[in-house]
Amino acid sequence: MFQYVVRRLVYGLITLLALSIITFTLLQNTGGDPLDRIKSNPRITQQAVQEMAVFYGLDQPITKQYLTWAGNFVQFWNYPTAWGRSFQGPQQVQALVINRLGGTARLMFTALGLAVLIGIPLGIYQAIKQYSFFDQATTTFSFVTFSTPIFVLGLGLQIILALKLEQWTGVKFFYTSGMNSTSYADFSLGEKIGDTLQHLALPAASIALISIAGYSRYQRASMLEVLHSDYLRTAKAKGLSQRTVIVKHALRNALIPVITLISLDIAGVLGGAVITESIFAWPGMGRLYIQAIGQNDWPIVMAVVMLIGVMVVVMNLFADLAYGWLDPRVRYD
Amino acid sequence: MTDRNLPPGDGYAALDEAEGLTVEPVTQWQLFRSRFVRHRLAMMAAVVLGIILALALFADFLPLENPTDQLEDDNGRIVNLLSPRAEYWFGTDELGQDVLSRVIYGGRTSLTVAVLTGLMVATFGTLVGSIAGYYGGWIDTLLMRFTDLILSLPLLPVAIVAAAWLREAFRGREALSLAILLGTLLWGTLARIVRAEFLSLREKEFVEAARAAGARDRRIIFRHILPNALSPIIVNATLVIGLAIILEAALSFLGFGVRPPEPAWGAMAANGGRLAVGGSGAWWLVLFPSVALIVTVLSVNFLGDGLRDALDPTQTIERR
Repeated sequence: MFQYVVRRLVYGLITLLALSIITFTLLQNTGGDPLDRIKSNPRITQQAVQEMAVFYGLDQPITKQYLTWAGNFVQFWNYPTAWGRSFQGPQQVQALVINRLGGTARLMFTALGLAVLIGIPLGIYQAIKQYSFFDQATTTFSFVTFSTPIFVLGLGLQIILALKLEQWTGVKFFYTSGMNSTSYADFSLGEKIGDTLQHLALPAASIALISIAGYSRYQRASMLEVLHSDYLRTAKAKGLSQRTVIVKHALRNALIPVITLISLDIAGVLGGAVITESIFAWPGMGRLYIQAIGQNDWPIVMAVVMLIGVMVVVMNLFADLAYGWLDPRVRYD
Repeated sequence: MTDRNLPPGDGYAALDEAEGLTVEPVTQWQLFRSRFVRHRLAMMAAVVLGIILALALFADFLPLENPTDQLEDDNGRIVNLLSPRAEYWFGTDELGQDVLSRVIYGGRTSLTVAVLTGLMVATFGTLVGSIAGYYGGWIDTLLMRFTDLILSLPLLPVAIVAAAWLREAFRGREALSLAILLGTLLWGTLARIVRAEFLSLREKEFVEAARAAGARDRRIIFRHILPNALSPIIVNATLVIGLAIILEAALSFLGFGVRPPEPAWGAMAANGGRLAVGGSGAWWLVLFPSVALIVTVLSVNFLGDGLRDALDPTQTIERR
């Protein structure tokens, strides 16, 4: 077990190393000098641009640049200078990214919370009432949602629930962009909560809907498998009540695969946040990522990609460990 | 269905016929066909996909406007942001381009990328999976570690960075480069599936028989084992095509896909969304490319589901 974890962590580190090299190499060849914006400013002299390139280390060979970046990056405790400086301004990348992490976390936890609270009971109920009208209708809905790209969902919610609803009723229910209104600081507590929810609702719902579709499909299949198993027939034959059979015998086992799915989904949602945050102008890590790629601000791109990479590695390991811990039939080798 | 064209010398058939015990041989293909046809949703999906494919393939022969032409009225004014009407079924966009034409040509882009991706994944995943599964040992370990590595990269962030690079490196051939990118990122799952199939199939008697008969590795892999592992390959490749359509659309939505004015569904939806949020009221710019996307992906996924049910003889068909 200990050996297994150690080996998985070593593989994880190799993955992260590969990820950093691939991303770094791609970014160097993406075209566009990171200092383009500065160079295009006529008031900045050639001399000053040179000095800036030296300051950022851009005059060094690429391998040297990579090694310097990697050496500093792993020393993340040197806050806030460890992850370098943005090419576009005076911000330290580490401070910037950690600041944006809050926005992403708020969106992600809300969406995943909703998805777990709705998706899992939905899947269980669908399985218990297999082939009922409710099952057919919700399964079809899940299938359609699952086949819908998240940006279509986001745009649809934005146009129908924010723009059209406001046009029809004259009341603003939801906002289409940002995390809070500009006058947020002057609001009373109640207004603050309302304002936050009005901003959060649509981006969270678009992530949650797709995850709900995925979780319920998976939970339904896993529950059906358990419901048709021999030990469940035994439990019923013993004369246990329907409730006990489902809650005590079926549910526990049917939840195991779904827990794995959810831990893997967290990393996926984090990657997918790039799209949702772009649609809703949400000040999170994903939006920062897209903007930084556009400006070839690679220290930011590297920091975000590595954070997401770490999440993927950690959640993958967590999923496998949780699976083994919950299901004693699983052995590690 | 009895084959009436049997050679006259077929003794068994003649014998069966004489005894009135006609055993009708049913081929794998017939089994598959009868199961698939019973899957009504999958049949419908196949028809819809056929129509979409035909539209994309024969777009040049349809009476459509050029997707990148800025259309003008009789007075030479550009007809931009027209709502759907008899002349322009899907309306026109802010540049005066015909949305119907762009949706159809955009489908050509999406489907080209997706089908190429599917082919790449099928080829590469099968190759890696079968070699790893057949030979085992250090080859297996090496290939599977590599597969794990690819599978544990964060898909969307890596795809975005790579697409940003490809746009510079393959200017003008974005569709092909996107397919190469998605193919490179998505073959891992199939490789794992094929490997698992090979691990169990290589122990079967018929493989041993082939080896005893002196067949070489390549022949055993491609002639004996692979045909038996075809079902999961086809199903997975189909599902990958659905995923590729979504990813291509997401990349072009974010501005890292096919370059405008070339039409692509994701970019069209993004552009329409921006205008709609800006208050243009031009709902048709968002609706039509989005519906095209959803219908296509949904059909591919239904088709994949149907194929899975039909190709796997151990499964009973779930009545829908």
